[in-house]
Amino acid sequence: MTDRVHDIVKDMDPRSVESVTQALDKAKLLEDLTLDEKTCLAEAFFEVFNHAHHTHSSSMPKVAVRAGKRIAKFGPELIPLLFRHLVESDSETAVYYGKALARNGNVGLAYLVPKLNEYREKDHDLINLIQALSYFKIPEASATVPFVLSVSQHVNHQVTSMALYTAGRLAEKLPTSAFSEELRHFIFNTSFRFLSHAQVLVRKNAARTLGKMMRRGLLSEEDEKKVYKAFLAITGRDDHHNWDRAFIVRREAEGFLPYFHQQSPPVRRYTQSYKIVSKRLLCTNTYHFTLDTPLIARKIEAGQFVIVRPHIFSERIPLSICNWDREKGTIDIIVSAVGKTTTEINAMMVGDSFEDVVGPLGERSVLPTASGTCVVIGGGYGTGAIIPTARDVKAMGNKVIGIVGARNKDSLIMVQELQDACTEVILTTNDGSAGIGGMVTDALREVLLREPVVYVLAIGPVPMMKAISDMTRPHHIATYVSLNAIMVDGTGMCGACRVTVGGETKFACFHGPDFDGHKVDFENLMKRQKMFVKEEKVAFERMKL
Amino acid sequence: MSEVITPTTPAPRPLSNKERMGLPHQEMPLHDAEARVKTFDEVPIGYSEEMARAEAMRCLQCKKPACIGACPVGINIPAFIKLIEQGEFGAAAKKIRETNFLPAVCGRVCPQDKQCQAVCVVGRKNIPVGIGNLERFAADYERNHHLQEIPQVGEPTGKRVAVIGSGPAGLAAAYELSIRGHEVVVFEASHRAGGVMVYGIPRFRLPLKIVDEDIRFLTRLGVRFVYNMVIGKVLTIEDLLKHEGFDAVMIGTGAGLPRMLDVPGSNANGVYSANEYLTRIYLMDAHHFPKYSTPISAGKKIGVIGAGNTAMDVMRTAKRLGAEVTCYYRRSHDEAPARSEELKHAEQEGINWRWLSNPVEFLVDENNFVQKIKCERMTLSEPDETGRRKPVPTGEFFVEDCDTVVMSLGCSVNPIIPSTDSDIHVNKWGVIVVDTETCQTSKKGVFAAGDAITGGSTVILAMGQAKKAAAGIHAYLMGQQEAVSATSTTQISG
Ligand SMILES: Cc1cc2nc3c(=O)[nH]c(=O)nc-3n(C[C@H](O)[C@H](O)[C@H](O)COP(=O)(O)OP(=O)(O)OC[C@H]3O[C@@H](n4cnc5c(N)ncnc54)[C@H](O)[C@@H]3O)c2cc1C
Ligand SMILES: Cc1cc2nc3c(=O)[nH]c(=O)nc-3n(C[C@H](O)[C@H](O)[C@H](O)COP(=O)(O)OP(=O)(O)OC[C@H]3O[C@@H](n4cnc5c(N)ncnc54)[C@H](O)[C@@H]3O)c2cc1C
Ligand code: SF4
Ligand code: FES
Repeated sequence: MTDRVHDIVKDMDPRSVESVTQALDKAKLLEDLTLDEKTCLAEAFFEVFNHAHHTHSSSMPKVAVRAGKRIAKFGPELIPLLFRHLVESDSETAVYYGKALARNGNVGLAYLVPKLNEYREKDHDLINLIQALSYFKIPEASATVPFVLSVSQHVNHQVTSMALYTAGRLAEKLPTSAFSEELRHFIFNTSFRFLSHAQVLVRKNAARTLGKMMRRGLLSEEDEKKVYKAFLAITGRDDHHNWDRAFIVRREAEGFLPYFHQQSPPVRRYTQSYKIVSKRLLCTNTYHFTLDTPLIARKIEAGQFVIVRPHIFSERIPLSICNWDREKGTIDIIVSAVGKTTTEINAMMVGDSFEDVVGPLGERSVLPTASGTCVVIGGGYGTGAIIPTARDVKAMGNKVIGIVGARNKDSLIMVQELQDACTEVILTTNDGSAGIGGMVTDALREVLLREPVVYVLAIGPVPMMKAISDMTRPHHIATYVSLNAIMVDGTGMCGACRVTVGGETKFACFHGPDFDGHKVDFENLMKRQKMFVKEEKVAFERMKL
Repeated sequence: MSEVITPTTPAPRPLSNKERMGLPHQEMPLHDAEARVKTFDEVPIGYSEEMARAEAMRCLQCKKPACIGACPVGINIPAFIKLIEQGEFGAAAKKIRETNFLPAVCGRVCPQDKQCQAVCVVGRKNIPVGIGNLERFAADYERNHHLQEIPQVGEPTGKRVAVIGSGPAGLAAAYELSIRGHEVVVFEASHRAGGVMVYGIPRFRLPLKIVDEDIRFLTRLGVRFVYNMVIGKVLTIEDLLKHEGFDAVMIGTGAGLPRMLDVPGSNANGVYSANEYLTRIYLMDAHHFPKYSTPISAGKKIGVIGAGNTAMDVMRTAKRLGAEVTCYYRRSHDEAPARSEELKHAEQEGINWRWLSNPVEFLVDENNFVQKIKCERMTLSEPDETGRRKPVPTGEFFVEDCDTVVMSLGCSVNPIIPSTDSDIHVNKWGVIVVDTETCQTSKKGVFAAGDAITGGSTVILAMGQAKKAAAGIHAYLMGQQEAVSATSTTQISG
């Protein structure tokens, strides 16, 4: 090694900005360097590349680029050496080798292009070569794009992504004249196809290339429209509302959206105790409870319901409301024990608290649109549930007939309350021990014969609601039923409460619970209620042990 | 498992990029597939300290790190990884917390393969740095060593904000707002806080204690939670602003309305939405039936429709309940929207796959219980005018047995709030419309973030938006005209 080179190299600390700057300044002054001397200096500066990212100084990468320029100035003799290091280097350091090579302009490009073909199967090496291409600032570089884009498809997606990146970078940096009509169209077509690639990075870089082309005005009007449409789809702004699943792809596309239009970018109060304040037996297995729930009491309307969870191991079950007191902050419920949870509730005492009570849920009852005689019909807990609506309907100035049915006199419940809410109440019992002997439908038939009816509301067992709907259908009387589908959350989140109404799937908890009885598919509802019979039996049996 | 490189301290000289690129990736150790499908314990075991440092050494500490830009909340990834490399694990967690207050959650559930790890330069030639695993490690270290500090909360502003929903969006907003000195009350419809993190994402991916710990942290900050409050029903937003004394409202109600296939048999017994299936188990503990009374029909042969994260979760849950599980998806494996890690884990756990199969009918018995699933074979079209490949029917069908079907087709936004506060505008898909800068809805003082404004997306995106919304709310409350940008202005100090 000659002394003049040795002097520069020996003192240079590749990690120090000052030291490297000094060395570069000195190297600049040397003239008539031999190949050996050039090689020696270049090798020393390559160390700078390797350390460019590992010093605390933020100007180190800039110094590394300067070193690259100096190496390029040594002339084309060093190209093979640069190339060798480029191939071997890691992705970050490859930037500097690539930039140094690109500084060799046409000669560098002429050396690199055949190598692309040579390395076409070696994906790890090819990636750096393609990256290096992106740094060329001569118009001729654009001609390599079609080759790079097509060859990369056969290797791996990282190479494809890099090829797209390079295409985009060249589109951005080279004069637009470097891109012929044909070439523009080729890059557009290829990149556009990659928008649907399975790999996110490929999609992202495809969007980037297309965006850059658009910004540089490299797209035909028609292609630009396609890209705009695709970007709207990617970002979920079109009619399909089916956005790209990857955030990075969406963000890439989103960033370009404003440029399509040359516009600036577009612009203790809540504690409820859930305590039982009163409890009374209505009939066998059926109790009436009053619960302290001031917030619910303030808001609830006729037809709405609550979901309760008596204790932490319980199911959440829906219950209708038969009355409330907005001042006292209480709601009234009726529970008939049919399984585990309802039996557990009926075992609770005054002073006990429910774990959770959520409500009010569902929509309020539909009220009659015409005035005239209205009929409300209840069976089981439904006898309570129809009372608030009956009261509202009466307050509108209608005549309200209440019909309640039960097995016998002792099972008739809430009669007094119903009488207070209605104009007239008809009682039916299966055994004839009170009121009319028979079913609620028998009473309804008589009413229909007697006078014109404008509105019917029925709440109770599904077969009862079905029979009533069938009876009023020929008379075209507006008929509403409250569907007691199985529920979990009661807010529309789970879909357990799906019911079929008028051929459409509805969620009973929040489209309902009241629906037009003439449209309800009762068969499906009855079957769906039996979804867990096996499990319910197990739960109930276990409880009794 | 790959070799563990123990860093020799003190390092004689910094490793060169090339040396770093040559280091082996530290594979996340997992519980054995056969053993793990019998429990609901977490599947990945987690990095040891040595492994974490070895993985951290693979990061090139890029000067212009691509990974930061690919993170929806812009975590300073190289900085925290460097701290891990140096063995400063607690400091690493603190670094992450500057921008992300749920690191233990995000390290486990973020789709890193579509974000930071997709762009990591190491990934060009090798497996990208395991950013998610490192994030998880730092957060777990912090939790296990009780290093988490309660940050300095700003001077009380006297302003009150109601946050609706306690999913990631609601929690992140509550955090950002309380740290700025506002009083925050979170209203949650369910009886538990955490949103999808507790009733959707399975425990074997995200143990409950992690979410609970984060919620406790918020409580310590002064955030108050109210449960069983369905806003829109028990109180409307108008009530909150007019009568309840709140100065602003933040909606983070998620996308709770499951989409169902509209084919014959969709309403048969044994057909669940993914939400119902997962809620019954993770919110209501149906897998401990009958101790917990919520039932779930056990299911010997389960068909799951869809191949997103939710579908993977359903399948892996069903597997743990002892079922034979088959996935039906109308596109191919490559288009499956699930996180690649989830897909891989599901594959290890022995799910049957029926790609390019579109269910067209569920056949039922006389009691309306599903018995068979009928599918049409599909093929993928050439990309259409929006560049997407669509599944197209082939006219070929097949029928398979099943006794339970779970549909996992995504969710739309729950309409309860917009239907009761009609001045909050939604677009035609029911998504709440917000200003892109401030996240303010069409109603003054009401902001929204998370799945409620995007439809189903991700935890981290919901958090990113919530931060933006919190900044918007703060600006609104402090009477500033111009809303500040998304970047958090909070400092976490000791
Ligand atoms: C909107 C609505 C309002 C309701 N209001 C009341 C009310 O005010 N008072 C009241 O006692 N009950 C009411 N119910 C029904 C109540 O929710 C069920 O009885 C309860 O879920 C049964 O739970 P369990 O654990 O006690 O019984 P399980 O063990 O779950 O079931 C026992 C039996 O009850 C049947 N059953 C299960 N779920 C329902 C259901 N949702 N509807 C009808 N039968 C069912 C089962 O087929 C089974 O035969 C209402 C239901 C709905 C949807
Ligand atoms: C099964 C499953 C798996 C997933 N896996 C991943 C994953 O691996 N990685 C990932 O990044 N993302 C995943 N996601 C998506 C991610 O969980 C969501 O994008 C994210 O939770 C959205 O957050 P959010 O706060 O907007 O809504 P949510 O988490 O849905 O929270 C909304 C909250 O608001 C409550 N709420 C709703 N309506 C009301 C109301 N009217 N009043 C009061 N409260 C209300 C809800 O009860 C809920 O608690 C998954 C989603 C699911 C369902
Ligand atoms: S891109 Fe990869 S290598 Fe670079 S800083 Fe980020 S994690 Fe480290
Ligand atoms: S009960 Fe869950 S959606 Fe109706």
